[in-house]
Amino acid sequence: METLNALLSGFAVAMTLQNLLLGFIGVTLGTLVGVLPGVGPALTVALLLPATSSLDPTGALIMFAGIYYGAMYGGSTTSILLNTPGESATIVTALEGNMMAKRGRAGPALSTSAIGSFVAGTLSVIMLTAVAPLVVNLALKFGPTEYFSVMVLAFITVSTLLGSSMARGLASLFFGLWIGLIGIDGQTGQARFTMGIPELLDGIDVVVAAVGLFAVGETLYLATYLNKIGDTIEQVKGSIWMSKSDWGRSWKPWIRGSFLGFPIGAMPAGGAEIPTFLSYAIEKKLSKQPEEFGNGAIEGVAGPEAANNAASTGTLAMLLTIGLPTSATAAIVLAAFQQYGLQPGPLLFDTQPLLVWGLIASMYIGNVLLLVLNLPLVGLWIKLLSIPRPLLYGGILIFATLGAYGLRNSWFDLLLLYIIGLIGFMMRRYDIPVAPTIVGMILGPIAEQQLRRALSISQGDPSIFFTHPISATVLVIAFLLLVGPPIWKRIASKKHPPVGGATAAP
Amino acid sequence: MTSRSPIVFGELLVALGLAGLGLFTIIGSQDISTGGGYSQIGPRAFPYMIGAGLLALGGILCWQAVSGGWRNVPQDEAHNEPDWLAFGILSGAILLHMAAIAWAGFVLASTFLFILIARGFGSRKLVRDIVVGLVLSTAAYFIFTRALGLNLPAGLLGGL
Repeated sequence: METLNALLSGFAVAMTLQNLLLGFIGVTLGTLVGVLPGVGPALTVALLLPATSSLDPTGALIMFAGIYYGAMYGGSTTSILLNTPGESATIVTALEGNMMAKRGRAGPALSTSAIGSFVAGTLSVIMLTAVAPLVVNLALKFGPTEYFSVMVLAFITVSTLLGSSMARGLASLFFGLWIGLIGIDGQTGQARFTMGIPELLDGIDVVVAAVGLFAVGETLYLATYLNKIGDTIEQVKGSIWMSKSDWGRSWKPWIRGSFLGFPIGAMPAGGAEIPTFLSYAIEKKLSKQPEEFGNGAIEGVAGPEAANNAASTGTLAMLLTIGLPTSATAAIVLAAFQQYGLQPGPLLFDTQPLLVWGLIASMYIGNVLLLVLNLPLVGLWIKLLSIPRPLLYGGILIFATLGAYGLRNSWFDLLLLYIIGLIGFMMRRYDIPVAPTIVGMILGPIAEQQLRRALSISQGDPSIFFTHPISATVLVIAFLLLVGPPIWKRIASKKHPPVGGATAAP
Repeated sequence: MTSRSPIVFGELLVALGLAGLGLFTIIGSQDISTGGGYSQIGPRAFPYMIGAGLLALGGILCWQAVSGGWRNVPQDEAHNEPDWLAFGILSGAILLHMAAIAWAGFVLASTFLFILIARGFGSRKLVRDIVVGLVLSTAAYFIFTRALGLNLPAGLLGGL
């Protein structure tokens, strides 16, 4: 009952004309930018972060939630029509949806993805509403020890579960943690690794880092290595509407995907990739026409898309209730909170209930807006896909530099943007994942703070992490995730001489 | 260093860079003043841990680079023909923009950036690029300064 009241007052906040409008603008902008090829949700959110800077916190976060949703949806459209997944969670959509589009069924593929996103988004926000107060109650019992351990788990999963190599994932994470060190130490006021440059005292801004890694790095990489290779956009022929049999084949995968995506996305070990792959596997198993999978089966788009969307809501649930971002996109959303001096977590539900519940209510509304916006506007999004590359990347760079320069009108931020862009270029070239860097740089300072608090409580005794039961359990899971896969791989490949050694993940 | 599979020097370089950053971090941590705080662990401990981690991971990646190359790197044929001219034009574009924005103003600097980036991506339609770049920069300038309250330099066009 208490939750329902809180949610109702949240709706009162979200339904004001101004906030409805901001949500609408957010969803539109998010889709508009997210649909551009090569622009994934994390970059969309980072590019649009400056756009919210002059608003009040509630309005800005509501607009931001809209951007987040729009960006997710826009990414799916690109995957289906262009087969260039903007992030790993849409690989499956790209695979199956693009096959559908190749067979002239782009319309139903886009529709099942839009309606699936709506169904999954709504179901998972309902789950979020139900679960959030419980998680908040649990999280209120967390001390610094537990927080630090949960963050270690998040670090390990973000860097080892994705990407093709554990060593490179961890290297990326540690590089991010290092970036997070730069600036003034929050507890003692000491400058660290600023190399005497006054501009670095505030640390490196997340917009500069994310836009540098994702936009500048990616643009340099594309121009250097891939410009000669053209994309083929699949045309949307015939009706965009789904037939009766499409509906029949879609609704169960939507629901299954939602229930798969939300819990996994909401775990610190979650992310959106695992549920999408799981959903794909399950739908293939349950389908009456498994032979269609790989050639454009609608279940293979409906399920994973729903799972992806539900997982991204799960990630937001984790961020809101515990304050832990488990994806690069969520890490940038956390930075958006920090812009206003707000720290997401259990306390925020107490101190800013209207903001939190207004944000949750706006997610319900955002899902509806997304559906209303997307089905009729598919034609417009397709036009965006066919913008010639020189113009597209010229435009992306204008907004990338605007975002970096607009922070404090300093040329130094543009230099930083370029240097980080060069690093992003190298990471892309040598297959080092970028997401762990972003999560590391944002979560690193918070983790350090919790570590130091925990150790002051224990008077410097590190065994505190193993004597607290929750903390010990979490750390054991993290450790297993770290050593499990290599050992498993060794056992599995006994007949071959071990190639990867202890460092290669499967 | 006569391993059978050729060493990719880029991999070795990146790995050495990481290890070097780790070393730099460990050494640099000693210069951080502890500030005489009351806490049990001061501002040095976490940097030490990160430095050690970077050094270890750099070491592992170095070892991988000289013993058969990094693991599970997807083979990409596009990597055989890098277009360094494009890379140079893009780099120049961004650095020129950095140097020009304060005095030339956002609109002119961004238009120039746009034209150069488009050129780097192989565009030969200069007039189209100028028009699109100018329209886009001007629109962005007015939206961000008037509607969103961001401060951007007007520069040479400031009097208009």
